[in-house]
Amino acid sequence: MHMANELLSLPIAGGGLVVAGGALGLICRKAKQVITSGKLALMGILGAFVFAAQMVNFRLPAMPGTSGHIVGAVLLAIILGPHAAAIVMASVVIVQCLIFQDGGLLALGCNIINMALIPTYAGYYLYRIVAAKPFSNFRTYVGVMLACLIGIEIGAVLVPVQAALSGVLVIPFSTFLITMISVHFLVGTVEGIVTVTVLVYIQQVRPDIVAGNLQGKVRLSRRTALATFAVFTIIIGAGLSLLASGMPDGLEWSYAERPDQPNFEPIISNSDSRIAAVDKLQSKYSLMPEYSVRNNDEDEKHQASAGWTSFAGVFGSITTMAVIWLTAWILRRRNSGAIVTR
Amino acid sequence: MHHAYIDKFAYQDSVVHSLDARVKFIAAVFFTAVVISLPRTSFAILFCYTVGPFAVLVLGRIPLKFVFKQILLVSPFILVFALSCPLYDKTPVKVSFGPSVFQTTVGWMRCCAICGKFVVTMLALIALVSTTRFSNLLAGLRKMGVPKLLIIQLGFLYRYIFVLIDTAQHLLRARAGRTLRNLGPKQEMKTASAMLGSLFIRSIDTAEQISIAMHGRGFNGNWRTISRLKISNNDYIFGVFFVVFIISLYFFASTVLN
Repeated sequence: MHMANELLSLPIAGGGLVVAGGALGLICRKAKQVITSGKLALMGILGAFVFAAQMVNFRLPAMPGTSGHIVGAVLLAIILGPHAAAIVMASVVIVQCLIFQDGGLLALGCNIINMALIPTYAGYYLYRIVAAKPFSNFRTYVGVMLACLIGIEIGAVLVPVQAALSGVLVIPFSTFLITMISVHFLVGTVEGIVTVTVLVYIQQVRPDIVAGNLQGKVRLSRRTALATFAVFTIIIGAGLSLLASGMPDGLEWSYAERPDQPNFEPIISNSDSRIAAVDKLQSKYSLMPEYSVRNNDEDEKHQASAGWTSFAGVFGSITTMAVIWLTAWILRRRNSGAIVTR
Repeated sequence: MHHAYIDKFAYQDSVVHSLDARVKFIAAVFFTAVVISLPRTSFAILFCYTVGPFAVLVLGRIPLKFVFKQILLVSPFILVFALSCPLYDKTPVKVSFGPSVFQTTVGWMRCCAICGKFVVTMLALIALVSTTRFSNLLAGLRKMGVPKLLIIQLGFLYRYIFVLIDTAQHLLRARAGRTLRNLGPKQEMKTASAMLGSLFIRSIDTAEQISIAMHGRGFNGNWRTISRLKISNNDYIFGVFFVVFIISLYFFASTVLN
């Protein structure tokens, strides 16, 4: 569920970057008090473990031809504690973006929120609630399952919410939401089962790791956990209500402007002031106005000239690229020639 | 997977490679922001923007075949999203391009625009990371105020991804060598989780050893690097080119739009 840049508008992507950056800054400041230099290697290598673990795939039952792998956020949160796990997962998402080009540069903020911060904190909190002391195997396993399922599900729900707030959705919001929820229900279930089995294995081989004696574990106090959970709930609730209130069917407010009908009355103008405000903010920060393709007869001439201008633009770009390529080629030939003659 | 596979071109030497990581990073972010805020239905303007990353890639001697392979590799999600556009928006529009005028739907135009923007922003991202060493990028980010803890974490992560991916591939090969038929989902799951568990324990053990070794060499939580970050004349020239490019395209775009 790596989001690409194209699924977000500038204000939402920027907001995501600010929120993720601020949260990471806070977490780093908090974690710095507890994480000593000995734990740095552990965190780094467990981040690399996430990459390696994603290569270990297995055939999924009931769905021939598909294979699953784990994400590992909840596993890390249980073993490392949520702060360290959040830093590890955030670094994984950043490296996925910068080295493997998975997910866009501007979408990085939203990706960190959806895939690093939410699954680790929400997952850890759920796990702590369900698997509270006294220790019982059954409760632990149920807690892990729930943590994986709900942690991933919340992150997945945020994807269509962010896309819809950006106003880029052409697909009806509800369709996108239902698709994401059902797909990630499967993903979360598989993740939960595998996380439980991996924990069972580790419990048998190295019980000290699961028992929380591993150095580097930072526990989260109940109050902080509650507070974070409350903040997440408020953010998600606000986002959902913002979307749900204005649009009775399909939430198709990206249809506010119809390029083919200049006189089209925007649906949002008479519905909700908050959505209008978001839209206004968007148009204010969008560097250029929305392109409208004119269809009227009197605009035929204008349209033709615009067509020629864009033709010139494309043609000019191709020429420029050809010139750049040729120049570089000639320069390289000359340089390599120089080496040979030397 | 060999270490050199994914970002081997970052270790080349060229004018673009020698630019300061911070300058390139800011340029890439700004470029992406501009491309994202372009109108959703204009294709011609978008095309003009490819000139920028194209020039950087060519000057940095990055093979375009590698670049497009990489883009194809990460495109499935966005392709599904883009291809669903024509299904939902069938409003007809007339588009004129040069001498030809043709009829299409808004959905198709959006689909093209999403794919186009994806390719252009990916070009910019690849132009950034395949002409900048990751360690230099991290040093630049550190100078720009990213927390030290996160930078160290990223450094460690980058250093060990390839080691652990190698380990994982050994495990996978061992499994493949011992599995002659489909064992059924239950056994598959059991094997996979045992592999993951042992990989996890192995990672923790490795981490302990590395930690001890690093402490033996005097590591105290500070990441010391020979910082070669310096804004040079080349960086100013690049900056001027970048600004001129963006501004001239902005004016070109506004003439097309109005």
